[in-house]
Amino acid sequence: MKNKKLLIINTIICLALLTIAMPVLSACGPQEHTGQTLKVGIMTPTTGPAAEKGVPLRDANMDCIQYINDELGGVNGYKIEAINLDSQYKADQAVANIKKFTDDGCLFFTTSSSTEMGYVQEIANREGFPGLVAYSSPSNYHPPQHVYGQMPDYGDDWTAFTQYYLNNIWKGTGKPKMALMLLNNPTGAGAKNAARALADQLGVEIIATLEHASTTLSEMDALTQIKTLNPDVIYISSTPKPAAIIIKNAVDLGMYPKVTIGVCHAAMTKALVDLGGADVVNGVYGVFPTIVSWDENVPGVAKMSEYATKLHPKDVNNGDYVAAWAQSLVIAEILKKALDAVGYDVLAKGDKAAWEAIEKYGFQGLDGYDVGGLQSPVKYAAGDNRLGKSLRINQVKDGKITAITGWVEAPLIKYETFDWFGK
Amino acid sequence: MSLPCGIRNYNYAQDMAIFRTKTHWTLLVCFLIVVFTVPLYFSNYWLGVLNLIGTTIIAALGLNILVGYCGQLSIGHAGFIAVGAYTSAILTNRFEMPFLVGIISAGIVAGLVGIIFGLPSVRVKGFYLAITTIAAQYIIIWVINHWDLTGGFQGISVPYASIGGLVFDNDLKQFYLIMFFVVLAVFFAKNLSRTKVGRAFIAIRDNDLAAEVMGVNTLYYKLLAFFIGCFFAGIAGSLMAHTTYTLNAEQFSFTDSILYIGMIIIGGLGTTLGPILGVTFIRILQQLLIVTIVPWLGNTFTSLPAGFASGLAPMIFGLVIVLFLILEPRGLAHRWALFKAAYRLWPFSY
Repeated sequence: MKNKKLLIINTIICLALLTIAMPVLSACGPQEHTGQTLKVGIMTPTTGPAAEKGVPLRDANMDCIQYINDELGGVNGYKIEAINLDSQYKADQAVANIKKFTDDGCLFFTTSSSTEMGYVQEIANREGFPGLVAYSSPSNYHPPQHVYGQMPDYGDDWTAFTQYYLNNIWKGTGKPKMALMLLNNPTGAGAKNAARALADQLGVEIIATLEHASTTLSEMDALTQIKTLNPDVIYISSTPKPAAIIIKNAVDLGMYPKVTIGVCHAAMTKALVDLGGADVVNGVYGVFPTIVSWDENVPGVAKMSEYATKLHPKDVNNGDYVAAWAQSLVIAEILKKALDAVGYDVLAKGDKAAWEAIEKYGFQGLDGYDVGGLQSPVKYAAGDNRLGKSLRINQVKDGKITAITGWVEAPLIKYETFDWFGK
Repeated sequence: MSLPCGIRNYNYAQDMAIFRTKTHWTLLVCFLIVVFTVPLYFSNYWLGVLNLIGTTIIAALGLNILVGYCGQLSIGHAGFIAVGAYTSAILTNRFEMPFLVGIISAGIVAGLVGIIFGLPSVRVKGFYLAITTIAAQYIIIWVINHWDLTGGFQGISVPYASIGGLVFDNDLKQFYLIMFFVVLAVFFAKNLSRTKVGRAFIAIRDNDLAAEVMGVNTLYYKLLAFFIGCFFAGIAGSLMAHTTYTLNAEQFSFTDSILYIGMIIIGGLGTTLGPILGVTFIRILQQLLIVTIVPWLGNTFTSLPAGFASGLAPMIFGLVIVLFLILEPRGLAHRWALFKAAYRLWPFSY
């Protein structure tokens, strides 16, 4: 009886202490602001001709934001409200989407591809609505305005691959002969611009520049034309499907593996291996601005892998998933920087003042944020709207994309100083 | 034209009038009031969608003149829109010419390019003509991609449209600009079909040999149809350019050309109302799927496989078009005509 009374008293005391301690304990962690969110527009080409990339990109963006909201408590206690819209890789839809983002009070927006950003960048720049593009082209932010690149662009890919080729692969004398196979959009134009700016300086001869569409079914004609020019190296700036077709055609014509083939980061993904076949694309070099192997020992992989395995197992080992997961981490950091500087009330309005704050304190306040080792740290430098500035050379080996260099910093090319740029 | 009950024609002018009763005029005025006050109720996003609908209606009206009235199948309409868009962009950006010069030139240049690619229509028709217009689509896009003046793959930026001191720099102003051109285009298209030219088009469409025997100059009228159809496309292209501010050849894809054909079929070939209904239906369906239905499916049915909801959008879109073609092959305009006929007689339907 006495024990029972003691037990009741102890229980009451414990409950009272717990009641008192709860607010104190909750104040120690990030304070949750229920119902107060930070809106960000996320545009992905989930359907249409780039869907093989758009789906994992969308999955990763949303998975990472779920992780940030559920496990990290959002950004300074404010949940990120992601408004995800499919661009269909089409201009009219991308334009409609950006208007939806501004209407809904988004603080900034992201696109996956340089092409999507190309469709809307003029609207964003004229409105002062900040944008972040994952896979970018020089034309997206030269001259620098309100659009920022998460990683180095397709021009940087060409520069990095060419430097690697000259230093490590080319054994001949004189200038190696390079043929460019370019997608007929900013993805291809990025490599074309870089080659035009730096080919002479680096010491390569561009013997052919041929374009293809994202819907191409065969590039036999183009490759036959190139074959007569005896190229030493073929560089493909395209998406996985056309790149896989070109490599298959090159094998059929007996050109590959005699010539070296390099691809840009839009193509150097699991989809290239899946579509082309591991034996066909074996030995192909490619540039990528994030880690490509999920076995790498960097801190960001564990959580990314956990979420991908749990929510989207088919995306595991996909490089695009890494890029978009990293993009969402960068989104959170931009929001955090802006929140720290101006507070929630300024951002809550989602108006021009909020956009200015996001750009000034968020984008331009990035000072070497470590994205869990998934990509190079993001840092803003005046006049350079590329936030990540390093990339790595990879090679397809036995069906797996393997990094063969460390992080290489891509130098800033001031495209806007060339008379021909943009004309 | 069927007349409302109790209405008779006493002279030719009355016979030719489009709006002949007080009810017609009242409904027209009400409709115009609703259309021109739409910005009061809609957000920028929906205004943007309406602007897209407006420009697409102009392009579809042109295609309808060519395909619906004159029977000349064209599957390269997006290419002709591109000609207009780039003409306007080059003139206003590179040569700093006024917008009005840009838009009128856009229509004329697109019309002239249409005549060039319409020349085969003198000798071929049907699927054979369709193939030549597909060639037009690809040739035009190739030229755009490889011509320095157009900005190539990188595209070209386009200044705001401006007339006098009025700059059309937001969705609201652009809405009124586009609607002005839509009204002009509808008025022109509606009246064209009732002129000698329009009747010649219809005669060629129904039987070009018989038309020729009756004295219709088929060469002249077929090329005229190409010019007018592509002129409309050029005007639409110019408006598109000045509302998206940037142009890239990928904005004018072959699939868009097919979609334009789909729009006028769903709306109703050979009617002025058809393209308006078809375009509105398709564009709103696209937006509802992407902005409302797919996100709702994804959020509501969380157990669906990843990507299933977004994959449904093109399937639903295709299914709706197929169902329309099966259940109402004469288009929405025919359904509207049936509805009008029914309510005019109601409640005495016999």
